[in-house]
Amino acid sequence: MATLRAHGIVAPLPAGFEGRIFQRTPGPHGDVPRTVAQFATFPLPDEVGDFGGGGVTVMGPTDIFCTLFEFGPESLGAARFARSGAPSDLTPADFRTTVLRRGLAGQSGTQWFFTASGRPFTFYAVLGANALAARLVPRVNELLAGLQIGGPVPSTPGTPWS
Amino acid sequence: MLALVITESVVIVLLAVLVAGLLRSHADILRALHSLGAGVGDPAAPLDPPATARPVSIGPPLPPERRASSVHDVSGVTPDGDALAVTVGRGRTLLAFLSSGCTTCGAFWSAFADPAIRRQLPGVRMVVVTKGPDLESPPEIRRRSARVPVLMSSEAWNNYEVPGSPFFVLVDGGQGRRIGEGVANTFDQVADLVRRAEGDAPQPADRSGSGGAGSSINLDGPARESANDAELRRAGILPGDPSLYPRSLADVFADPPPGTPGTGRPA
Repeated sequence: MATLRAHGIVAPLPAGFEGRIFQRTPGPHGDVPRTVAQFATFPLPDEVGDFGGGGVTVMGPTDIFCTLFEFGPESLGAARFARSGAPSDLTPADFRTTVLRRGLAGQSGTQWFFTASGRPFTFYAVLGANALAARLVPRVNELLAGLQIGGPVPSTPGTPWS
Repeated sequence: MLALVITESVVIVLLAVLVAGLLRSHADILRALHSLGAGVGDPAAPLDPPATARPVSIGPPLPPERRASSVHDVSGVTPDGDALAVTVGRGRTLLAFLSSGCTTCGAFWSAFADPAIRRQLPGVRMVVVTKGPDLESPPEIRRRSARVPVLMSSEAWNNYEVPGSPFFVLVDGGQGRRIGEGVANTFDQVADLVRRAEGDAPQPADRSGSGGAGSSINLDGPARESANDAELRRAGILPGDPSLYPRSLADVFADPPPGTPGTGRPA
């Protein structure tokens, strides 16, 4: 089992999952780099949006896409992020066909906002087929069970080679 | 008469002492030989169990048998310090093992940055794998800016037994095995390797395991080698066949590009 570690996030990957943890390059207006972690049971395209744009369209019915997106410190304390810690023990009922960034027939999604280790996040997951939720949701829970989020870390791009 | 008897007795005593000394010396020699493991022992005694044969090490250990078909997901860090894990369990994945130091790799870094060249292999996912940050320079790799995922992982080099760079491995996730691997000087040669591997890949009907093109599927090590030997014999290629010993790239590639070393063709 591979384990991804970067930007204060540790994610052991269940069998069949691949993933990446990266930071978006800051925009021209002094934006803070956003940490994004994406996990999928299918080959992630080279260019995929933070919330799966360009990825969910190539999913098969038995596939899963998950993303963990960090918001800026200005979101800390907001009511939306009041939940403490990442979700766990999701059920098929937590997935709805209406909770999709891109409404593709047959798919369903779930989204949770929370704060962990002083960092505001949202977790968004998409199932390739809502009809297979009973079979796919335990795999999402397996991924969530191993997820560890540490405190804020400085941006690491350009880390000198030692 | 008396003097004769006395003299004879003295001689006999001296001879007896001499024989006793010789016997003792002989016993010492036998004891020493026995302690060195060369003793003959008592012929009447039961036979000792045969000594266990132990190999004699006369040089550095050889690498283990190459397991040429096993596949592994690859994971590591990117040159930017991000984390990346790629599964090879679905579709076809071309793993390009490159480094920042090898001159030949330069052409491949350029090729992987050019979408037009990468389109030569539609449907094949490409991933560049360098050694890990402990053995490779992230800034040097970052400067090359390939437009395919670049992953730094010494573990992946070990898992795929990469002999050096550049080296390419084509994995078929559906079959769960490598269907091609080798070296190349240009991206055109890589594309040729991929097309050959895809052409050689057994069709589902061949996967009976009873011979034919698919007989070595899922075999590894000596079993795979034996299956390949049998396949070659069926094709009429016996030990010593000239095709087994290419002397130039022209013997390997049907139409190598002009200027390819070893082809004798001018650029």
